[in-house]
Amino acid sequence: MRWSALLFTPSLIVVLATPAAAQVVAAAPTLLVDRFIRMTAVTGFEQAALDSVQRLLPGARRDRAGNVVLDRGTGPATLIACPFDEVGYVVGGIRADGWLTLRRVGARAPHALWDQYHEGQRVTVWGRKRPLSAVVGVRSTHLTRGRSQGDTPFTVDDAVVDIGAADAAQVRAAGVALLDPVAMLKQVTHYGNELVAGPWAGRRSACAALAEAAKATPGSGRVVVAFLVEQEMGQRGLRTLANIAGPFERTIFVDHAMGPAGTLIERTDTTVARTLPGLGAVTRVLLPVRNLATPVETVSMEDYEALRARLGAMIGGAR
Amino acid sequence: MRGTWCVVLGSSWLLAGPVTAQARPAVPAAPTVAEAEQVVSRLVESYGVSGMEAPVRDAVRTMLPSWARPTVDGAGNLWVVAGRGAPKVVFIAHLDEIGFDVTAIRDDGTLDLRPRGGFIPSLYEAQPALVHTGSSSLPAVFLPRDSIGRTPTRSPGAIRADPGTGSRAGTEALGIKLGMTLTMPKSYARLVGTRATGRSFDDRVGSAALILALRRIDPSKLTHAVAFVWSTREEVGLEGARFVADSLKDGPTVVLAIDTFVSADSPLELPTFALAPVGRGPVARAVDNSSVTPSRLVDSLVALARSKGIPFQVGATNGGNDGSTFAAYGVPDAPIGWPLRYSHSPAEVIDLKDLVGLARMVEAVAKSW
Repeated sequence: MRWSALLFTPSLIVVLATPAAAQVVAAAPTLLVDRFIRMTAVTGFEQAALDSVQRLLPGARRDRAGNVVLDRGTGPATLIACPFDEVGYVVGGIRADGWLTLRRVGARAPHALWDQYHEGQRVTVWGRKRPLSAVVGVRSTHLTRGRSQGDTPFTVDDAVVDIGAADAAQVRAAGVALLDPVAMLKQVTHYGNELVAGPWAGRRSACAALAEAAKATPGSGRVVVAFLVEQEMGQRGLRTLANIAGPFERTIFVDHAMGPAGTLIERTDTTVARTLPGLGAVTRVLLPVRNLATPVETVSMEDYEALRARLGAMIGGAR
Repeated sequence: MRGTWCVVLGSSWLLAGPVTAQARPAVPAAPTVAEAEQVVSRLVESYGVSGMEAPVRDAVRTMLPSWARPTVDGAGNLWVVAGRGAPKVVFIAHLDEIGFDVTAIRDDGTLDLRPRGGFIPSLYEAQPALVHTGSSSLPAVFLPRDSIGRTPTRSPGAIRADPGTGSRAGTEALGIKLGMTLTMPKSYARLVGTRATGRSFDDRVGSAALILALRRIDPSKLTHAVAFVWSTREEVGLEGARFVADSLKDGPTVVLAIDTFVSADSPLELPTFALAPVGRGPVARAVDNSSVTPSRLVDSLVALARSKGIPFQVGATNGGNDGSTFAAYGVPDAPIGWPLRYSHSPAEVIDLKDLVGLARMVEAVAKSW
């Protein structure tokens, strides 16, 4: 990943991920939440983003799957893990006329409109030389008039990505190749009553809460904090961790779910515990979000703070 | 601004203060891609839904040459008249962009919206939003539909927005009122080569072309007056342009709308017409839904482009143009556009070379027609 060093350079983030409109409104506080939401970590292509996460956690290492693992203490083990990846795309084809086609990555789309949220929008192609601004094409409004239009949702098979190249040779010259990751432009919106919106805002906010909480000194026992790869590809990161770093007495799985603001969601997950016995007893601690799995997935900062405190308490008193 | 435009103040070109001989700096050479980018990017990053064009108008004003004496008419149109006498040639590009306005504030603080201009609603569903209060732009989100299900339709139905307050009182406390406009946040971005993307290139590119051309015109050397007009409310029915036409009546010999040529240059479009490739120069928009350019004018534009070495295309596309409002006074309309992909979407794409060529065409017509 030759662009990995550039990926989280603050100035580049501004250029790529902050629309001019963000400068119109009052400056939002710079939070770890913002930073995490702006990161791109398409399933299977999380390395650059997790490099940045790892730098936040002194003593953390990478395991064979690519998970970031902070392993402290001895004795009965508690795993506290947050998935970091996102359903995205890779370049599936390069047309002779310079447009790219896409292949979705992740076992499945979050829902039937997921691909449609990309139509006619800005995306970033993480090319071999540098990240490139691009757009997903859409029919011109003017040229649809008077012509029959279906009402079936846009899917990945309808997507053509325009990086501005006139032909395939220009695509290659720009450093774009098959399998380069492609993701929607990561815009963060602070609005209303301490709300933050953005793509995958729930998951990334949950991970930010864990990264902040991980600064706490562990209580008794062994505490393993992990940021996982490939959750959206059959939980590969979690499986590897369970098999290589386990067994754990218990696992706290941190993520997000649809729910009303004001109350963290906690529930026992017997299914995962049965499937991956190395995890021990599994509890899901979930950040409630609205507008789930949309470009404006929304988190309450009050809930974020509550999650951070809850996880800090779990780590500090792990036993 | 709506509701005030019908107050006719007389001949706008007189109000515009025509400029002739004054001390002024030397006229610069032909525009470069870098200068074109500097101008159009600033315009693209200004917001101006139809009827609320002030931020864009202000941006245009700050980029005019020092000799220009811009004025604003009763419809909000911005004028610069170069040369002496009544304008014989009129260029008109529009300031406004598509968007929404607020029609109701619900008890939960969310906003009911009305589209301003034509576009595909699904492109706004579940995307970031801005509410423009006139003094600031407040962040919000366009809401996703209430339920998706397994087999949703493409269209989301009516679009609503959420400023995140949770109550009508909270929304009103932010200063949000009925009639205020909403857009999606936007930014200009360079693509590969000389191509670029942004929302509202339609018609900030035309507006930029007028600025770039004006910078290269010495009004004292014009043989007749030329009006450069940045119009309002084009997207909702050519309303600003109609005011201009009613002001000038049959005085001009020609009007040239400088507006988008919606191009079929994409794999998604039918190639039956409008196939003007991006990057191959401005386009005589010879036939659209509002006007047919007289053949002699198309031929004249082609000859002029050839004589100046400007790549130039001729085509037919869809849409209406501001110049067509002059038809009621018998003034011929010769619109010139530039190829645009993905019109009225957040992802419009242009080639900056086409903007340079467009500005050169405007300059050439102003000096020679």
